[in-house]
Amino acid sequence: MCEKVACGSSGCPTRVCWLQLHILLVSHGGPADPFWGVVMKGVKDAASKFGVEAVYLGPEKFSLKEFIDLVNAAIAKKPDGLVVTMTNPVALDEPLRRAIRMGIPVVAINVPDDRPVEEKIPYLCYVGMDEYLAGVYAARRMLQEFTPKRAVIAIHEPGHVGLEARAKGIIDVLKEKKIPAEKMDITTDPTKALTLLKSYLAKYPDTDAIFTLGPLGAHPAIQLVEEEKLVGKVKIGAIDLTTRITDAIKKGVVVFTIDQQQYLQGYLPIVFLYLYKEFGLIPHENVLTGPSIVDKSNVDVVEKTVQLGYR
Amino acid sequence: MKRDKATLPDLLRIKEFGAIVGVIVFLVLFSFLSNRFLTAENVFNTLTMAAELGIISIGVAMLIISGEFDLSVGSVFAVAPMTFATMVNAKYNPYLSLIVSLMVCAGIGLVNGTVTLKTGIPSFITTLGMMMFWRGILLAITGGFPIILSRRVDMLQYLGGRVHGGLRYSAIWFVVLAFVFWVVLEKTRFGNWVFATGGNLGAARALGIATTRVKLVNFIFSSVLAGFAGLTTFARFKLVDPTFGQELELEAIASAVMGGTLLTGGYGSVVGASVGAFMISMVRNGLVLAGAPAYWYRAFIGVILIIAAVINARIRKRVAG
Repeated sequence: MCEKVACGSSGCPTRVCWLQLHILLVSHGGPADPFWGVVMKGVKDAASKFGVEAVYLGPEKFSLKEFIDLVNAAIAKKPDGLVVTMTNPVALDEPLRRAIRMGIPVVAINVPDDRPVEEKIPYLCYVGMDEYLAGVYAARRMLQEFTPKRAVIAIHEPGHVGLEARAKGIIDVLKEKKIPAEKMDITTDPTKALTLLKSYLAKYPDTDAIFTLGPLGAHPAIQLVEEEKLVGKVKIGAIDLTTRITDAIKKGVVVFTIDQQQYLQGYLPIVFLYLYKEFGLIPHENVLTGPSIVDKSNVDVVEKTVQLGYR
Repeated sequence: MKRDKATLPDLLRIKEFGAIVGVIVFLVLFSFLSNRFLTAENVFNTLTMAAELGIISIGVAMLIISGEFDLSVGSVFAVAPMTFATMVNAKYNPYLSLIVSLMVCAGIGLVNGTVTLKTGIPSFITTLGMMMFWRGILLAITGGFPIILSRRVDMLQYLGGRVHGGLRYSAIWFVVLAFVFWVVLEKTRFGNWVFATGGNLGAARALGIATTRVKLVNFIFSSVLAGFAGLTTFARFKLVDPTFGQELELEAIASAVMGGTLLTGGYGSVVGASVGAFMISMVRNGLVLAGAPAYWYRAFIGVILIIAAVINARIRKRVAG
């Protein structure tokens, strides 16, 4: 296995030389997307630390067909390990079962196969966030801050499975505390989102918490609270990271946001597959990289790591 | 009695009649359902929310009347602020950036028109392609992330800033542009050409109207207005997402149709389209104020659109027959 190692001008590190694994990561997200750029950095960093060869593959623009083609191409190369986002478990079922039969260890990232156990693709483990838990943690973090009288959950894409799961997590926790909470379709348009939230606050003036499920909800909500001088009266809980959101956390407009630490979704599978090939060690079921909470206490560190490409 | 008979058809002859009646019906309905509906603040909010869609609808209605479609307005709505934000962030003069962004939109309109008119493919296809193309460019350049304005630009106050309470400059622009284009369409020779071009292309040509140029100008109007609407929204939020303006093209067509514009061209109204946009905004806002379940809005608008189209068709038949 040693002959393929880059024993070039910089010399041949012996520690690496006796185990050069070849791992392929196939994702539905293209390299142009900054989210996946962070994942790629995780892959690269782990690969150089553990001396494996890891390659990231993803379609330029989201395309299920191209994604499945890439998965098939990756399997044909018979890598020592395969990391795949379970973007469409039904379409991935046949190729991945074939890969597992061929003896290729498979790790799932970012999106799990959430079908019942008996139908699920038997991959080794899943590394990523649980969307429902993200909602649960968001609601709990808000309850730590204060007990809202009423909460509205701004959903910018009704019917989006991930967003609906987040919303359900929030509502379930708040309902337990008997806090009225409901979803509102705010559309992806900021002006509409802002006006509708404003009207909701007019209809239910006791509303003191707004939950947003992504930047398209958080940005108008921040604008509304700033424009109407509601800082402190209406608190925002967000999900996902943008500079606008982290700035708002510093100003106290947003209480917290939720991050899925996708760097780990690139880094950990490489480590796990290395340990699996080398020592047969592997974590079981789900390894959750999120929800991780970003609030005033850690926002500075988070901002720095965003700049460094770790988030 | 006799007087009634004389006035009703006169009323029906008003192209915007259906849309205005719709607005009144919903105004009464929502006033009963919510005591907050008929307040100055809420009217301002509704007008502001209607502004971006309304400004787009003006151009879209003009173009439909002249017999063509523009599906690219939603993407152009994002292209203009994206150009503006990128230029301003790169330390260019804001006024220059504004002019360049609008010129880019005009260019897109020019391409839409030229391709459609020179090759003879339907504008539905040309602009559908342009819609995808520009949305793709936006996604590719931004990588899916928003572009945030990095410095203060005072000029933006006059595009999207606050006038009073919930009233914003975007709403003022909407009303002003609706008036200007009403004058252009109803009171000028160019307006007559627009109706003639959309109504009967062959006859219009025979009369010596430069139909190609009329359509081309409307393609440009449509794009520039869409870009301007995007800039007013950007002026308020100071950031632009690559998903900005998605689905606005269809809402703009819906506004035009609710306002009495015929999809086949030759008949319609800029004021009607504006009232249609206002109605869509009013229903959306009214449902929230009435405490209606969140997910019913789209279904509701769908029904209203069809009812409006049927009523408009009936009215036209009655007036014509």
